[in-house]
Amino acid sequence: MSATEFVKVTIDERTVEVPKGTGMVETAAAAGIEIPVFCYEPRLGAPVGACRMCLVEVEGMPKLQAGCTLTAQDGMVVKTARTSTQAAEGQNSTLEFILVNHPLDCPVCDKGGECPLQDLTFRYGPGNTRMTFPKRTFEKPIPISPLIALDRERCILCYRCTRFSENVAEDGQLVAINRGAQSMIATFEDEPYRGHFSGNVTELCPVGALTSTQYRFEARPWEIQKVPTVCGLCPVGCNISATTREGKVKRVLSRNHPEVDEGWLCDKGRYAFDHLHARDRITAPLRKAGPRRFEQLTWDDALDAVEAALRAGGSSTVTALSGGESVEEAYGLAKLLRQGLGANEAVLPEDVPDNLDAFRAPLSALRTAKTIAVLSSTPVVERAPVVDLWLKAARRLGATISYTRPAGAVDALVTDDPAHAASVEATNVYFLPLTPNGRGVADAWSAAGDGEPADVEPAVLVISGDEAALNPGVRALAERADTVIGFGMFEESFRGIADLVLPGTSYLERDGTTINLEGRLQRQRRAVLAPVPDVLAWLAKLAERFGVELSPYAANVFDEVAAKCFGEIRYADVGEIAELPPRAERRAATREPGSQTEPGSGLRLVAYKPLFSGPAVERTPELQFQRPNGELQMHADDARARGIRNGQTVTVSSNGTSLELKARLMRNLARGTVRVADGQQGDLHPEVEVRA
Amino acid sequence: MSTLYEEIQEIRARYPEDVESAVLPALRRAQEEHGWLSADVIREVADALESTPAYVHSIASFYDQFHLAPVGEHLVEVCTNVSCALVGAQQVLEALESGLGCHAGETSADGKVTLRAVECLGGCGWATIVAVDDHYRTHVKPDDVPALVEELAGGA
Amino acid sequence: MAPEIVFKDATTKLAEYEASGGYTALAKARGMTPQEVTDELIASELRGRGGAFFPTGRKWSFVPSKDQIPKPHYLVVNADESEPGSFKDNEILSRVPHRFVEGCLITAHAIDSKHVFVYIRGEYEGPYEILVGALEELKDRPEIRGDVTIVVHRGAGAYICGEETALLESLEGKRGQPRSKPPFPAISGLYASPTVVNNVETIVTVAPIITMGAAEYVKLGVPNTRGTRVVSLSGNVVNGGNYEIVPGMTIKAIIDELGGGIAGGRELKAVVPGGSSTVILTKDEVDVGYDFDSLSAKGTAMGSAGIVVLDDRCCIVQLGIRFSEFYEHESCGKCTPCREGTRWLTAILRKLEDGRATQSDLDLLLDVCDRINGKCLCPLGDSDAIIIASYVAKFRDEFQAHIDEGGCPFGGESSLDGVLAPIQMHTHSPVAVVPA
Repeated sequence: MSATEFVKVTIDERTVEVPKGTGMVETAAAAGIEIPVFCYEPRLGAPVGACRMCLVEVEGMPKLQAGCTLTAQDGMVVKTARTSTQAAEGQNSTLEFILVNHPLDCPVCDKGGECPLQDLTFRYGPGNTRMTFPKRTFEKPIPISPLIALDRERCILCYRCTRFSENVAEDGQLVAINRGAQSMIATFEDEPYRGHFSGNVTELCPVGALTSTQYRFEARPWEIQKVPTVCGLCPVGCNISATTREGKVKRVLSRNHPEVDEGWLCDKGRYAFDHLHARDRITAPLRKAGPRRFEQLTWDDALDAVEAALRAGGSSTVTALSGGESVEEAYGLAKLLRQGLGANEAVLPEDVPDNLDAFRAPLSALRTAKTIAVLSSTPVVERAPVVDLWLKAARRLGATISYTRPAGAVDALVTDDPAHAASVEATNVYFLPLTPNGRGVADAWSAAGDGEPADVEPAVLVISGDEAALNPGVRALAERADTVIGFGMFEESFRGIADLVLPGTSYLERDGTTINLEGRLQRQRRAVLAPVPDVLAWLAKLAERFGVELSPYAANVFDEVAAKCFGEIRYADVGEIAELPPRAERRAATREPGSQTEPGSGLRLVAYKPLFSGPAVERTPELQFQRPNGELQMHADDARARGIRNGQTVTVSSNGTSLELKARLMRNLARGTVRVADGQQGDLHPEVEVRA
Repeated sequence: MSTLYEEIQEIRARYPEDVESAVLPALRRAQEEHGWLSADVIREVADALESTPAYVHSIASFYDQFHLAPVGEHLVEVCTNVSCALVGAQQVLEALESGLGCHAGETSADGKVTLRAVECLGGCGWATIVAVDDHYRTHVKPDDVPALVEELAGGA
Repeated sequence: MAPEIVFKDATTKLAEYEASGGYTALAKARGMTPQEVTDELIASELRGRGGAFFPTGRKWSFVPSKDQIPKPHYLVVNADESEPGSFKDNEILSRVPHRFVEGCLITAHAIDSKHVFVYIRGEYEGPYEILVGALEELKDRPEIRGDVTIVVHRGAGAYICGEETALLESLEGKRGQPRSKPPFPAISGLYASPTVVNNVETIVTVAPIITMGAAEYVKLGVPNTRGTRVVSLSGNVVNGGNYEIVPGMTIKAIIDELGGGIAGGRELKAVVPGGSSTVILTKDEVDVGYDFDSLSAKGTAMGSAGIVVLDDRCCIVQLGIRFSEFYEHESCGKCTPCREGTRWLTAILRKLEDGRATQSDLDLLLDVCDRINGKCLCPLGDSDAIIIASYVAKFRDEFQAHIDEGGCPFGGESSLDGVLAPIQMHTHSPVAVVPA
């Protein structure tokens, strides 16, 4: 492996040594010098040099150069606005030109106070205007979706948003139209910006042109607190920053973990925090008072009732976990039940394999993989959205991605099926679990007791969390139980099945840890106080009644679990940008030859669980438009073989039943498979035929 | 007889896979077929290219020759850049406005002719250039306009 | 009389072209190695005829070998001719299409390319049909075509697509916005592969050079501008048209001898020597050789060889407005100074023309030009600034008169008075708001 070549660059009066080829903006930053930028954003691809904000003087070149497009070469001498009047004039000119048409909206603009245009104008721009002509005006703001408002007058046409849509999310939804000074940012007609990642443009936008509708007029930057935490809605575990004001979450921004999310966030993680304020939020313990009715209890009465029920259930108590609990919550519950009652039987939504630790790698390693196999019947973007962005980045860099079982070894395997994980030879394996913390919850459960799970008829069923309560399998189990005790956030989830319900909290309201799909342990910090006690708080009280020692503090619970599962790590050390533990020892496992599904003449129908579903999304009005719209995803070659055109309405039929859907041709799925969102497949069986 | 969708697949075959080069010829074909590029036509082209309407609209709206609003049966474009203007292009344009009864940028009342001023058509020494349905007439003078108007009215 | 090289034995028919020796240069070139062909072009001192005037053979030599970069090589011919005043490529494609195709094939051989794209401006329906007709004639001549495919790709009306990287973007199916250079097209051009972009006239000269040999070609012209050049002559001359000249001939001679002098018995006032983007020359400056060195010494350039002749009826402020409106309309919108600056310049010029300008507006005009020039991503914005500054520099009195007299001294009689520019019409997009 060759050593990194370092080069010496002189910037203003300072010299700095950086790896050869480092971008000039980063080189200057290494020297402690700012080169101001608008359009420059390395995550969007190669620099474009469009806005001309970063103009610098380079020795040997007569004209000013766009600093963002320069890379460090040995002996380069660069002068920024600090030491070059030419560069200062150039940057001043750029700002003057931007402000020629930019409206003086600061007093009413959400971006005010956290606005790069304001900041750079103060630092590099003119103090007043010489432009006396009418500015170009637009109708404003216009909603480009229920989530995002567009103000075209404020737009400085830096093209960050369109480059995101084209080169990162690759959704082709947000574009520039017209030309020159008449250019505008737009979606098609008045169709909304539908996509899994639309909200990122509001963070990318350096002015108040693209703003969050949820956050409109909600707060000024000097009134808010920012809490660093981790999203709990999917197994990626994107690092987020919760903006709070007066004890309420007002918005969620990315916090940029370079290995996990690179600063991107899906719209569910960004906008679904509305669920904290849902109308049917459980704020007090409940007892069943009718077939679909609850009545409130005091906490004392509730704990008495739960204790009594648990005692009656004893070791025939079965627990249904959601996989969304924190490690500490899961451990607390497990310790109470396993050690207090000898109830060792738990139902988890899925089997998360634990033998993949030898193949674990950061998600960022996907970007540089050259050969990737994606063996997932669920679209990756629906289950672990940001992983799809890493895959797209890899493809843009030239990786070959195969959607069927590869013949030989690959650099990376992404799969939702443990069987594939066992049978494909890959350097790195990324398993896509169904739940945000399935691995953490499973580890916590097994760490909390030694007893053998017994396959018992549930006398008592404990349902942990709304997702479990909504699970059809769990609901079937609930029918068989004598007593059902549940805890979660929303009344609706437990109506008709639970006898007792205790209030639960959101990931935004708790301290704790979770393990994401990489196997990375991450720290969730309480952003706001819940309207109800911590889950750990009442678990500790209950545990006491059964003679089980359980601390109500997440830090202590963590240390107890960590000692058993995570090795030498303290709670305080988990860190805000958490590290991925090194790979485990590879067990000498024999590769089981996996079965290749023989392509039949028919097509396999997969009904996938869409990202925009679930209790949190249902309680976020602004996200409803993102729910799937009745399209059948089909491989372009399968379509062509059947004379089916992109966008055509097709008939999908299986034994005795058929449905009409719109065909959407894609290339990032396996041949022989068609996909539709769960709930839109009607009565179709898994084997279907599709006809024009 | 192939459909627009099929024709666009043929156009795509002229270029390497995985590139969007076909969009310009595809839009031109669609405009020839439909007269102008309505939202539905844009959707049709997008589907045929396996791309999105927003993207196709972004391309179409960048170029002067794509009509995103209805146009008449005939398109009359007068170059009013400097070389043509120096020898009377504005007078030719005004004669056409008067003869057709509409302003430049508009379509005549009977829907037959859309009149536009355009930038340099690349016939400068043969000024004034008037493109009638994409074919250049050279050395056009204001006196030539009545005959042209009549020609267009006769459904030529 | 200039020797005819570009237009010699002009014909659109394959049979006639072959009868007068057509496609023998191609056979000769194919008998040479690519390096030998490139060396011949270097020796000929042929320089690009599109406006940048870069030595052609040297540009070809920048293409890396397929061992260095294992990607296909592309020849892209820039037939997007849209510079006001320039219409030579129109005539070249219309009259000598086979000579042009032969040039494409020879160049493809020299740069080891199997794919040629001819990007022709959408408005050139006539030349397009002729070119396609010529290619049709070659359908049954595989020995001429070899294993090279030629795709004619029509533009759709955007001057900026004449800038080579914007052309490549447009050809790739994106909006025609220029790229930052480096990387240069020779390394990463079309589809991120090594690409040579050449002008039509450059390409059409290649076969004659191979036939006559570089040594002969170099005897024509003057140092730094060898061979012949096709110049476009337009404006207030008697005989506008394209003329193949030997560089060194003065602008005055071009106007008087080839152009038949000023039309209508009027007086010459000014000349735009190389298409709209070049610094203007006053009537006292036209006794200058039409070649690179002579025009550089005068602070201007040959550009795309579009000579626009203005007589004494023309108000220079109106000239500035009309050209500035052109640049404003054609700006792609990518970089800030061009997008905002061209619009601002036009507005200030209008204020001057309407007699509402003050002295400080003239200073402002020049300062805005200064703030645009040298800051843009591509030459479009810079050009607007450069030419307006040159109009003020050389016709300052006329600008001053607009201020002092509170209006245009031509009183509505200027040849460019009241000209409607496309930017003033409603745009074709129903969504856009038309600026006031």
